[in-house]
Amino acid sequence: MKVPILKQGNILIATIQSALADKDLINLQNDLSHQVIQYRANGVVIDITELDVMDSFSTRTLRNIASILKLRGANTIIVGMQPDVAYAMVQLGLTLPDIKTARDLEEGLILLHS
Amino acid sequence: MDEIEKSTLPDSYVLMNKMGLDENEVARRKDWLEFTPDDEARLLELNEMAQGYATEVIEALYEHFLKFEDTRKFFENPTVLSRVKNLQKEYFLRLTKGDYTKNYIEERIKIGAVHAAIGLDVKWYLGAYNYYLRAVGERIFKAFKNNPDQALQAFFSLTKLVYMDIGLAIDTYIFQREMTISKQQEAIRELSTPVLQLREELLILPIIGAIDSQRARQLTEQLLHAIRDKRAKVVVVDITGVPTVDSRVANHLVQTVDATRLMGATLIITGLSAEVAQTLVTIGVDLSKINTVGDLQGGIEAADKILGIPVTGKHDDTLTSTN
Repeated sequence: MKVPILKQGNILIATIQSALADKDLINLQNDLSHQVIQYRANGVVIDITELDVMDSFSTRTLRNIASILKLRGANTIIVGMQPDVAYAMVQLGLTLPDIKTARDLEEGLILLHS
Repeated sequence: MDEIEKSTLPDSYVLMNKMGLDENEVARRKDWLEFTPDDEARLLELNEMAQGYATEVIEALYEHFLKFEDTRKFFENPTVLSRVKNLQKEYFLRLTKGDYTKNYIEERIKIGAVHAAIGLDVKWYLGAYNYYLRAVGERIFKAFKNNPDQALQAFFSLTKLVYMDIGLAIDTYIFQREMTISKQQEAIRELSTPVLQLREELLILPIIGAIDSQRARQLTEQLLHAIRDKRAKVVVVDITGVPTVDSRVANHLVQTVDATRLMGATLIITGLSAEVAQTLVTIGVDLSKINTVGDLQGGIEAADKILGIPVTGKHDDTLTSTN
């Protein structure tokens, strides 16, 4: 399933709607890498509220996306992680130390604007 | 047994299933005691004789009971006494009636449950069986005076069955106590993890008592769900009431901090005692990622700062590190 990317001012919003296949994640990485310059965005919010499982591949891809976008001049914020996902991830040692997080889309946008 | 008492007793059939006493288990128990169909046949042969001396043995047994203060208190009411004597006689004769299958097992479980419910200690129960075996053994050897070998075999068969009964009854005792213990543990756990909302976006979690891994996991899960449900931005976890923190618990605290951050909230830990702090540094736990503040008051002030609420107190900023 393709992840829709919305433009809101100079911020891009990617809302992940369901568990993604590896291919979809790579597509998301590709799309964001291109669109961030195309739309002259300086911030990206990835909303994972609907995600109830995160494996090591999606974690790594999210981390890669954040690093790529940094190189392309934009900050990334992950929002809406569910409690069970967060707990499962830290137990696997996947703590995403270099990515910013926020509770929801609203807070993510405020953080990027500040 | 009056009606009220009856209704509070656990259903022996349900109990039997919960204890895992299915046909296989019963067969295993019989195998272990080497209880064979031959034993069953020998016990059946005793039945006629048992009917002859049942009343006599029961009377003697209860006389024995009444001699001791600890057991006498169960039989102060004469109607109770005569009723239990009848039940005892029934059981006594049941021992030599064969068909030691499901129904028999269920009856034994029921007896165990009743004894556990009235608080009869196992020692009295065992003593009564001992009295039984001696009284009956004597009579069996008298009856088979000319054939001591047969007497011994019959007595052994009875012993095997009695040991099976004792095993079942004691297992029921233990099982019921274990159920009570696990219920209490559950209650303690529920009571000991209150997640309190101090103000909008600020939660407080005071932890009291030792933390084992099961409780740590439950605490974290409860906390993370509360963060989502109450839309908290900052959580202050106060561990003043935790007597010891070992590397496992410390590691768990770090995990909780990480998970909280992944959800977009911040966690502040307060109330690390001098001993705990020294232990953590000595065992080399890396707590650099954790926000720690001396006491709960300081923790709430630090939380207010993150939330952008002006701090009214005179307290200095005691936050040691921030993300």
